[in-house]
Amino acid sequence: MTAGGISMARAASPLHDRPTFRRLDLVDPYLLIATLLLMAYGLVITYSTSYEDVAAGDPTQFILRGAIFTVLGIVTMVAVAYFDYAWFGTFAPLLYLVTLGLLVLVLLIGHNVLGGQRWITIAGQKFQVSEFAKVLMIVVLAKYFADRHDKIGSPLVLGGALVLLGPAFALVYRQPDLGTSLVFVGIFFGMAYLAGARPWQLASLVAVGIGAFPLIWGLLQGYQKSRLTAFLDPYADPQGAGWNIIQSLIAIGSGQATGKGLTAGTQSPLGYLPIAESDFVFAGLAEDLGFVGGVLLFALYVVLLVATLRIGFRSRDPFGTFVAAGVFSMLAFQLVVNVGMAMSLMPVTGIPLPFISHGGSSLLSICMALGILQSISMRRDASRLRS
Amino acid sequence: MMSQERPRAFIRPYRFIAVGLVVAFLIGVLTVRLWDLQLVQGQHYRSLAEGNRLLRLPVAADRGIVIDRNGKILVRNIPGFAVSVVPVDLPRAREAAVALGLAALIGRDPVEVLKAITDQRTRNPYEPAKISTKPVSRDVALLLAERAEVYPGVRIDAESVREYVEGPLYAPIIGYTGPITGDELTAKADQGYLPTDQIGRTGLEWEYEQYLRGQLGWREIERDASQREVRTLSQTPSQPGGNVVLTIDDRLQHLLANELNAGVTADAFTQAVAIAMNPQTGEILAMVSTPAYDNNVFQRGITQAELDALNKDDRHPLVNKAVGEIYPPGSTFKMVTALSALTAGTATRNTVVNVSSLSISVSGTSFFDWRVHGPLNLVDGYAHSSDIYFYTLAGGSPLSGVQPVGPDNIAKYARMLGFGAPTGIDLPGEAPGIMPDPAWKQATFDEPWSIGNTYQEAIGQGFVAVTPMQLLNAYAAVANGGTLYVPHLLKEVDDSQGNVVMTKQPEVLRKLAMSAEDLRTIREGARKVVTSSHAPMPNAKLWIAGKTGTAEFGNSTGRDSAGRNKLGFHNWFVSFLPQKDNTDPTAQIAMVVFTFDSSRGLCETCLNPAIAISQRVYEAYVLGDPATKARLIQ
Repeated sequence: MTAGGISMARAASPLHDRPTFRRLDLVDPYLLIATLLLMAYGLVITYSTSYEDVAAGDPTQFILRGAIFTVLGIVTMVAVAYFDYAWFGTFAPLLYLVTLGLLVLVLLIGHNVLGGQRWITIAGQKFQVSEFAKVLMIVVLAKYFADRHDKIGSPLVLGGALVLLGPAFALVYRQPDLGTSLVFVGIFFGMAYLAGARPWQLASLVAVGIGAFPLIWGLLQGYQKSRLTAFLDPYADPQGAGWNIIQSLIAIGSGQATGKGLTAGTQSPLGYLPIAESDFVFAGLAEDLGFVGGVLLFALYVVLLVATLRIGFRSRDPFGTFVAAGVFSMLAFQLVVNVGMAMSLMPVTGIPLPFISHGGSSLLSICMALGILQSISMRRDASRLRS
Repeated sequence: MMSQERPRAFIRPYRFIAVGLVVAFLIGVLTVRLWDLQLVQGQHYRSLAEGNRLLRLPVAADRGIVIDRNGKILVRNIPGFAVSVVPVDLPRAREAAVALGLAALIGRDPVEVLKAITDQRTRNPYEPAKISTKPVSRDVALLLAERAEVYPGVRIDAESVREYVEGPLYAPIIGYTGPITGDELTAKADQGYLPTDQIGRTGLEWEYEQYLRGQLGWREIERDASQREVRTLSQTPSQPGGNVVLTIDDRLQHLLANELNAGVTADAFTQAVAIAMNPQTGEILAMVSTPAYDNNVFQRGITQAELDALNKDDRHPLVNKAVGEIYPPGSTFKMVTALSALTAGTATRNTVVNVSSLSISVSGTSFFDWRVHGPLNLVDGYAHSSDIYFYTLAGGSPLSGVQPVGPDNIAKYARMLGFGAPTGIDLPGEAPGIMPDPAWKQATFDEPWSIGNTYQEAIGQGFVAVTPMQLLNAYAAVANGGTLYVPHLLKEVDDSQGNVVMTKQPEVLRKLAMSAEDLRTIREGARKVVTSSHAPMPNAKLWIAGKTGTAEFGNSTGRDSAGRNKLGFHNWFVSFLPQKDNTDPTAQIAMVVFTFDSSRGLCETCLNPAIAISQRVYEAYVLGDPATKARLIQ
């Protein structure tokens, strides 16, 4: 049986793998510590920004929600880590179909928030499907590349990966969620490069993308265009398109070395800083905790990203390596774009900052990804696999 | 089974390193940018964050009111609405549209409104720029307040508007306020003026700006992103300006104005000035200049057409004629000729000149008198206003044997009496007048002084020109026995609680170097002007002393701006009222009445309207109120 070009026949046999307590010593401690610290950091920032944003309502509600999702995230991470990640490979075709199905579903029945249909409700909780779709697509692409890692130089393989990615990208873009669809692009290039795709092939794709820019520009919606131009000169329309960027810069800059203190920021509570809990959360963080807080965030991310790369490097098989490459690309891309956007280094796109942005779906999907990474780490030593 | 030794070709170490380095570089860029924003530009952004949420709003201070010496309110403040724009809240893209809309609502030129907004954006976009030049109606204020989304950044504030209770009656004295100009703002940068402030433009509003002006207060508010006030962080209350108490007596002001206006209405004259003062202190009791203008028009925002009309009016309604215009003094100047001759010693009280014909002839030119008087001493010559008598005192005459006092002496003593220089009254725009002498003529016309010039000067014709204020002040010095005061309108300044902040003290300009006896001779002559019926005061109830004057001046054909006949004849009556009917220097009131374009008559006195006006006003003022009577006469 095949689906989307992935054969189920070559799946590893997870049934042979039974996790034992002995393997717990192969858990990556750096990844674990960085993960837990970033989760805690996220809770602290949620506390700070939700106390500042009086307009958003009862702050304890946000903190409680954040705490519940943190616990859920840890449970998810542990549960996923316990399973052999090969299972994901085995069910990759099914996961792919589920991903596309959910993305179609969200277009059909999704909630309309801020001009985009991104949410579906499951058991009373709203879920942002595209967040899970990112992790699932990483798994699917990893499986696809792993199955073909010995002929990775072929343009057909790269083309096949694009064909796999295409529908998911299009469905997310349709929501419309330009930010997440760009994350897909980032994931794709990161994975393809680390999987060994020919650099000239990737360069050609970039060249085609640049060549098609006028076409893409025509497809962009008005607000997306104005965001792009506002990034170039925010002061052209300080009350309109440039407002977010200017207020974000003011929030960050006014934090100075050590910040105004938790819950002491002024930009968010008075409504100057928009979407202070998600897209512009870094501005709130930098306003409250200053340069020290910002550098602390970067340091934790560096540990997390290095640990991720190391897990990929030490993986027992290509699938594990490529999953790690995908998670690395996703986290690095989201960090750089989200923070860069807040500091006006790049255009405004709605991409959350993993761990720090207030969002259950984002946190759960990342925990899932990190659970897979720990699973890869725990199973890196083939000699310990029970035959 | 043995563990499989699989080739790990799927690991590409260099690519791992490359990806790691790229991400490390990007995080490095983010760190550098963060460093730049927070540590290099942190202070700048901190102040922007404060500017975002903090708005320092001026709290307007009421300007002081103006009252007369008895507490009657002459200028007060009434509530109105002001429209201003805070540029930071107005998107640049909508600037022009908002300016256009506002301009239509408040009746201003859209270009000016836009300029006011853009100027303020450059100066300080966080502070409001006042857009309305005149108070807006409640309807417009409500409309702007209700449609805030159409007019972003537009503020409506209550402001107080100056109301000049009597309008034209006091406009020549009090003047008006107007918006401060950019140049003034720069010049007074250290005095805390705001671009939206009103400042005294002319009159007492200008003169006593420092007292009338209040101290602005400040209110610092915190506001949210939708510009709603969240709370007041700090507040400095404003200090109202001081209340200016004038030496003016409103009752006397009204009495004089009624007479002058009635005279204009009756076509007795076209313009007029009247001033009353206390000769013992220099206090001005009344000052009327007609026609005047309504200073309230400037307060509600004068239109260009209105301003053009005022400027084109040949009666100069914008000028306070009491101090700002100069006229020939006519026979009133004979006081100066007489005092010069007496003080210089060329004549005495008993110097007699026989006026035996209507004219004397010198160097082939005839100089006329108005009648054949016969022999006159100085008192009688003055009382009957004999021209030939004063020609003779000044320049000598054939067969008289009188030693001439000469033009230089006349100029010297005239200047001692205050002619040819501003009196120093507390009003802007005072004219110095002209007090000629031979050197002045040589310098001005490059011609030598002639005996004719001396004769003309002796009777107040020719080159000499005075302001009504100068003439009255000189007579006041005669009436008080020889002290020339600086006339003044300010009595005191009170703070808003009524405590006296400052009291204006009489200011002596100089003591006249003239003998008390000679001054008494003039007072005697002035009283005899009335008693001899030269200035007839039928049924006189008071012992008024004074001097008439008539001067031919200007054009006597055509009509003025009000359509009245120009007559070219002006009449003076300058007078004082001693406390008793004697020649002692006790007068508590002196007065000058000047009528412009008066009816031309055959004799100097018969149609001088100033005499009757003076008599009626003295009697009504002094006898109309027991307290005034007790103060002025015994």
